[in-house]
Amino acid sequence: MTFTWPWFKPAKPQPASKILWLDLGDLGDLVNPSGPHEQWQDHGLGLLRTILHQNGVQTDLASTRAVTSWEQLARQIKGYDMLLMNVRSYTFPPAYKAAQIFKELNPAGLIVAGGMHATVAPDEMLAIPEFDRICQGPGEGIIVDLVKDPLAYPRLVQGVGAKSMAEWPMIDRTLWPQPQGWRNKRRWHWKWPLEPACGWGPGPVATLITSRVCPWQCVFCNENSYIPNMGRKPVDQVIDELNFLDRHYGVGSVVIHDSMFFQNPTWLKEWIEKYPRKTKRWTYWAAGRADTVRQWPDLFEALIRETNWRTISIGFESGSDRMLRLLNKECTEEDNYFAIDLVNRIGDDLEAKGEQPPKFWSNIMLGIPGEQPEDAFKTMRMLKQMKRVFPSIAFYAPYPGSALGNQLIAEGKSLMSKENYHRFPDDEKVKGVNYQFYRELLAGKYDAEINEGVDAAMHGAELYQGALVKA
Amino acid sequence: MSSFSSPHFMYLFALKSGKKKLAYGQSPADALEILRIRLSEQEMSEIVADQFIKINQRDLQQYVGELG
Repeated sequence: MTFTWPWFKPAKPQPASKILWLDLGDLGDLVNPSGPHEQWQDHGLGLLRTILHQNGVQTDLASTRAVTSWEQLARQIKGYDMLLMNVRSYTFPPAYKAAQIFKELNPAGLIVAGGMHATVAPDEMLAIPEFDRICQGPGEGIIVDLVKDPLAYPRLVQGVGAKSMAEWPMIDRTLWPQPQGWRNKRRWHWKWPLEPACGWGPGPVATLITSRVCPWQCVFCNENSYIPNMGRKPVDQVIDELNFLDRHYGVGSVVIHDSMFFQNPTWLKEWIEKYPRKTKRWTYWAAGRADTVRQWPDLFEALIRETNWRTISIGFESGSDRMLRLLNKECTEEDNYFAIDLVNRIGDDLEAKGEQPPKFWSNIMLGIPGEQPEDAFKTMRMLKQMKRVFPSIAFYAPYPGSALGNQLIAEGKSLMSKENYHRFPDDEKVKGVNYQFYRELLAGKYDAEINEGVDAAMHGAELYQGALVKA
Repeated sequence: MSSFSSPHFMYLFALKSGKKKLAYGQSPADALEILRIRLSEQEMSEIVADQFIKINQRDLQQYVGELG
């Protein structure tokens, strides 16, 4: 056993590799996060690092979230030959800042960047001279060769993906960044490498993905335009992964991060058959749509009752048919109220039996171009009808790559730029939108008007006061 | 109007400026009505209503540079 004086600082561990993967996010999000969602881990990073390591390509890890200053990051990224980054639109600002710092410190180093922003806004990525190689699309089929010999590829590389998620290895979650500081870990009860609880279920939280691509065409998202169709991860593989995580780390609850979990009825029926019998039937968060709830109500109810689906994320977005049409949601007010009434009824029934009722994670959008006050009032009325709900309210944001976003950018109406793609809730995003009205709305100023159209409101204005979240 | 009973399609309408305007709906006429929700009368008057193509949403990125 080695003894050290209490004040002896152990030497900084020697790098295991000359290749560094940089996890991206706002400075300090793993040091002193304002909430649990800032601490969600990057599944793309996890998958690609796992593939690299399994193929003999070791990488070190740093994170913009694990430092509180760029100077602190600089000390960690000096001395590497290659920097890898998975760049989303909202992490584009820290990505290119980190790239500039890396090149100053390592002039001969190469930077390889991929991720969603490379796919939806390649021109912005290409405009950053520090990005030596930019990979569009999925990376799992190309990452090993690209990292081994990046100069064999053109500057803009087309990624190669698997045909099915069944081909993906299980993410080695120890390759994710760690929370910093014992106070942070204690505050969030964070048992890394699983993730901390965020109010959707008890920790430790196992997050995973069972499917890629929501095939619908909502114009604020439109990921179907960019991500190729892919076979869903087999139910047995998902169950094996959860049981592995439980054996090794202890699972408290699950978050299924699929863009659209409630699709593919054949898969869901197998899930209903196997998940309750082959796992500890942890409660989970997963996403659906109001029109699919209305299309398959029995399947939806069975998932809630039999598989413990307890936090139901639905992109209601608006309570107004006008706005739902503008967003190309292909759902109606009637679809939304059907889903709300059904979940309210199931919740009442479960509660009467002494069981935990399901709760909505209700995605709501305000500040949509063309929205009138009455549209917003209808949305708040709809929200008030949900008996059990976590409201997730954000201002509409015209992200590049989304159909409406591209059109608004072309019209010169977007207030977003590559310097402020950050997902801050209060940011004004579109010209011509009266954001003061929305701030007053969320402060409860119009509650009388909202309640005029409500027979029996479940909630008062406290439901949405101060409830703006990051878009 | 759910996606099962009334699917939507994407259209690119010609603009008098030579650019294109993205719209979507159950039909070209419906798509123009949806545009009317957020565009001014002046902006609508720039659209050449009978000149449009229907596009697959996966092809949308090809036309981003032509939008106006």
